[in-house]
Amino acid sequence: MDTRRRWRLVRVAQTFGVLLGLWFLFSWSLEPTSVVGGLLFAGILATISYDVFIEEHEAARHSVLPRVVPAATFLLTLIASMYASSFSVLVAVCTGDVQPRVVHFRSKLRADLARVVLAESITFTPGTIALELDEDQLIVHWLTATTRHSARAGDEVKGSLERAIKRAWL
Amino acid sequence: MTGWHEAVAMAREIATVAVCILASIFAIAGVIGTIRFPDAYTRLHASALSGTTAVFSAFIASIIAAANAGVAMRIVVIMVFFLVSNPTTTHIIARYAWQSGLDPWKRLERKPRRKHGGGRR
Repeated sequence: MDTRRRWRLVRVAQTFGVLLGLWFLFSWSLEPTSVVGGLLFAGILATISYDVFIEEHEAARHSVLPRVVPAATFLLTLIASMYASSFSVLVAVCTGDVQPRVVHFRSKLRADLARVVLAESITFTPGTIALELDEDQLIVHWLTATTRHSARAGDEVKGSLERAIKRAWL
Repeated sequence: MTGWHEAVAMAREIATVAVCILASIFAIAGVIGTIRFPDAYTRLHASALSGTTAVFSAFIASIIAAANAGVAMRIVVIMVFFLVSNPTTTHIIARYAWQSGLDPWKRLERKPRRKHGGGRR
């Protein structure tokens, strides 16, 4: 079996696994009809959509599927930073004291998916919105900016999130 | 044993109410910020308070109050979809504003005053 065909099978299997896992989480049932239905439809959907979920050039396993424990740590980091920045936006709403600024910086992440997750995480935390993501370049609108320096702004906006994502993906 | 169950039920109710109050505070602040802030970008930040933090807190309250693990797991799956879809919407609005050339509002910075008798001679 050539490498391309093997990689296609791996992508179908990974998509199938994720879809089936989601089905079990959502149905929370091990009844035969539920299990057979889940297996059948996860198989059909995986065969149709594996190329959309995992593109052919994403050849490294960890550029698509995150490592489990670091991914859980990342989720906790994301929730903690969401609440921390929510409180600072809450203070800004009450006082009306905002210092909005558009900042540009680069990401050290290499995998496409990891970069998208970083941009999504930046937008998810109130106080920062990713305006543009072009390769490793990020343009972010920052509500309570404290610096104009590109590297320092990057470190404040994405520092802990990027480190957590890097541990989970590439 | 019944006393222990009652204590756990009461603790869950208190935690649920506390998280719901937190969600309400963020939702109200988000609405106030949307009215108070000066431009589209800053208003998006304010609406993130009600659209993200308040909704996320409501989800956490629902998990605490869930009747069983099955219901809690369904809420977790909904939270995962929310994690993906919510920032995408905000990003699309902000990106459209940015690409259509809408300049972000800037606070006017005061120039430092010249001292009397200073400057170039």
